[in-house]
Amino acid sequence: MKISGTNTIPYPVAQVWDALLDPAVLVRTIPGCERLETTGEHTYAMTVTAGVAAIRGTYDGTCALSDLVEHKSLVMRLQGAGAPGTIDATVHVSFAETDGGTTISYDADAVVGGMVGGVGQRMLTSVSKRMAQEFFDNVAAAIGGPAPAAAPAAETPAGAAGPVYTAPPRAAAGGVSSDFLTGVAVGAGLVLLGVIAGRWSRRR
Amino acid sequence: MTTKLMGEKVQRVEDQRFLRGKGRYVDDVAVGPATLHAAVLRSPHAHARIVDIDVSEVLDVEGVHAVWTYDDLADLSAPMAEPLPLLIPHPDLTHGRTQYALAKDEVNYVGEAIAFVVADDRYLAEDAVSRIKVDYELLPAVVGVEAARRAEHLVHEDVPGNVGARMEQSTGDVEAAIAAAPHRLSLDLTVERSACTPLEGRGTVARWDPDVGRLQVWSSTQTSTGVRAAIAVKLGLDLAQVDVITPDVGGGFGVKINHPWPEELLVPLAARALGRPVKFTEDRREHFISSAHERGQVHHVEVGFDDDGRLLGLDVMFWHDHGAYTPYGLIVPIITSTQLLGPYKPAVYRARFESLYTNTVMVTPYRGAGRPQGCYVMERTMDAIAAELGKDRTEVRAVNFIQPDEFPFDQGLVFQDGRELEYDSGDYPALLQKAKDLIGWDEFPAFREEMAAEGRRVGIGLACYVEGTGVGPYEGAHVHIETSGKVKVATGLTTQGQGHATVFAQLVADELGVRFEDVEVVTGDTRRMPYAVGTFASRAAVMSGSAIHLAAKRAKEKVLRIAAEALEADEEDLEIVDGVVSVKGSPGSSIDLGTVAVLSNPLRYAFDEASQAATQFSVGDPGKPPVAEDDEPGLEGRDFYSPERATFAAGIHAVIVETDPETAEITILKYAVVHDCGTLINPMIVEGQIHGGVAQGVAGALYERMAYDESGQLQNASFMDFLMPYVTEVPDGIDIDHLETPSPLNPLGIKGAGEAGVIPSAAVFAAAIEDAEGIPIRSMPISPSELFHLREAHR
Repeated sequence: MKISGTNTIPYPVAQVWDALLDPAVLVRTIPGCERLETTGEHTYAMTVTAGVAAIRGTYDGTCALSDLVEHKSLVMRLQGAGAPGTIDATVHVSFAETDGGTTISYDADAVVGGMVGGVGQRMLTSVSKRMAQEFFDNVAAAIGGPAPAAAPAAETPAGAAGPVYTAPPRAAAGGVSSDFLTGVAVGAGLVLLGVIAGRWSRRR
Repeated sequence: MTTKLMGEKVQRVEDQRFLRGKGRYVDDVAVGPATLHAAVLRSPHAHARIVDIDVSEVLDVEGVHAVWTYDDLADLSAPMAEPLPLLIPHPDLTHGRTQYALAKDEVNYVGEAIAFVVADDRYLAEDAVSRIKVDYELLPAVVGVEAARRAEHLVHEDVPGNVGARMEQSTGDVEAAIAAAPHRLSLDLTVERSACTPLEGRGTVARWDPDVGRLQVWSSTQTSTGVRAAIAVKLGLDLAQVDVITPDVGGGFGVKINHPWPEELLVPLAARALGRPVKFTEDRREHFISSAHERGQVHHVEVGFDDDGRLLGLDVMFWHDHGAYTPYGLIVPIITSTQLLGPYKPAVYRARFESLYTNTVMVTPYRGAGRPQGCYVMERTMDAIAAELGKDRTEVRAVNFIQPDEFPFDQGLVFQDGRELEYDSGDYPALLQKAKDLIGWDEFPAFREEMAAEGRRVGIGLACYVEGTGVGPYEGAHVHIETSGKVKVATGLTTQGQGHATVFAQLVADELGVRFEDVEVVTGDTRRMPYAVGTFASRAAVMSGSAIHLAAKRAKEKVLRIAAEALEADEEDLEIVDGVVSVKGSPGSSIDLGTVAVLSNPLRYAFDEASQAATQFSVGDPGKPPVAEDDEPGLEGRDFYSPERATFAAGIHAVIVETDPETAEITILKYAVVHDCGTLINPMIVEGQIHGGVAQGVAGALYERMAYDESGQLQNASFMDFLMPYVTEVPDGIDIDHLETPSPLNPLGIKGAGEAGVIPSAAVFAAAIEDAEGIPIRSMPISPSELFHLREAHR
């Protein structure tokens, strides 16, 4: 499945770039993200809850950012699996300064497997795009807004490879986080995630 | 005088039950809290190595009774650790592969079984399945014929080129014949994958009785005896310890002839290991991704012909996508390569195919079983020849027909049963005349003009087929006349909606002279008839029908012998009407069948008034043994029917379609079927089979396909996206005409009818759409949007 799109965040590239590389921002902006653990430089393990209608569940996944060209582009490799299905995606992300804002273009090549692949496929592209929109809106809000009162404290529990970030209890994000939206994208959320997160490479 | 029921439109006795919700399917068996329920963890990947399976989060869940992966199987029963059987080996299947009941090290299609969980209920079992963590190493997926042929990646490392089999059959030097022909054409023709999609998926229930060491299994299968044999081998049991019962089945259409499915072994294994009844009922998505598909083939045709369109040389090469494994051998491509010939007799014919591995669900026969593809290839070729020569399409067909006086006609090939492809009987010119009359072939040009004047676009198409039905090796039957006069009939093959209880009862009622309602038919129960093959290849009426007829004949012989003695009459003078044996011409001298049954079984003990007549002080010649040396007690007949070869049914379908000039929507205006399945037992049931077949054919030609993406994910694994047509998409009224050319191979002259309705669909719709549009149609199925894009491409 190929998904591409563009979104604009009304802040300069430098700010957007920093936000997207900050796990504390990611954990509260990725739709459905419950937990994000830093496992290395620009690599994360995470837990995301998402679903399309009845096909709902929790996914454990990893993502890794690579080929970072500061303020220009990055590649994200993403792999996730949960009861409703699997996602493996490579997302090319590029950044461009436009009118004091930042236009982000993403180009994802995703393999969506399991139940979601067979049953929800038809809805994934549109849902993914809407979730991307939600994500970037969240990022914009995170950059512009005050630090959340219950800011997720980075902690490093025993046994964890790096700091673990958990999302604050989230209110429905304005207007778009209907059950349908947050719900849907098994694949979508993760592909979306893809936008931030990582690129998965097939081990052949 | 009892009316003969052969050929009568007798109402189906099954329907009262089915229509009132009284059908009893596998899922209706063993309901109650004692039964445990199974769920299966299936691969989400089309091709991957299994690095690790972690079941630790499931083991201690309350209510979960078993969690098995491949590593557990050997301890439960050593043969379970071996691959599943390759059911139909063939010398050309040089690289046959079958899966394990639970994947060992590698998965080769989305849906392959990896782990098996048994729990108190299905909810719990599925929740447990979701807690199993599998670490995969992904491998590149091979999807579709083209990728399989390119062989940049291999499905199985030890199968070079992804080629499971190569096969060739020919009747002469085809290349020379084509080179010498005055006209030549070549065509490339594609058919996509589809599937049977019966309303009831697979299902198995098993109950182990520790007191007697016996296993009882219910399975939604097309072969109880096949499942029984497989379970016995895999569980290390004697055949005598296993009973398999096939209750009502909600459709099979071919997919359920494959056996044993992993669950068909794992469920009995669990029932024995846990000492509780265990049930597995497949859900819809599972059926899409873990049962079987068919139809996917790519063909290349070279043909040489004379000025009349006579086939001088026909050379067909095709590539068959058999999916990840080959449990059912080469049956489908062999059928395509042989049945492609239909009613025609090319001077020289060569068929070659490669059967290819892909990382998709495996292939087993689907109603028609390779014939729809073969018919499509042959009939597209006929239409192309007619277009090339500027001749009427029916004329080109007529010059190629095998003529009525040429039977038996040997095509010079080997058929799917390993026997010669020799047609037993038929009358193809008569069929063609009927088809032309029924559809209005000669009147169509005027109709086309009329429609064109209204701005409407219509086309007509026609397709002929011959179907080898009733393949061996055999079927058997047991007919038992009870002391009540009621007749119990058992045959071993299974029933999945055909109306066997009706047509078989008709045969028995006719032969024995009993009332139809006194005959009860049981199918697919190994306790009642342990020798059987199965229900496939339109064989039930031919095989079991013949066996039942023969068994009833044997029972009748015994009835007449005993009755003649009791009535002190000559057997020749007796007749049986409505269950009463009497001397012709003297109705007072009679005995009913129940009494004959009593007399057939010499008794020491009486248990009711009737049986007193058979006790030792009442009957028998004191000078002879009560049961003669060459006789046995009871009023029974048992016999088997095993023909030399298949019997060949034939038919022609014709359709008029309308295509919307703007939207490219395809509408069926008229659909006509002429059909010759030999002597008809019950025309209503044959017509029902045709209706169902046409509906399924329309589905396959215009709607259904398996939408795999390049990574091997089936994207339309639900009825939301897999377009099974509604009744609104099926022709409103199908005109049917019959021809009855009896088969000389069986006592009743019957030929099979179950698959015929679906065989010519792709061919006939391609022909009609091509006729309407003037654009060559070379790939089926075809959707409005594909037709729309074809128009753009040919603009």
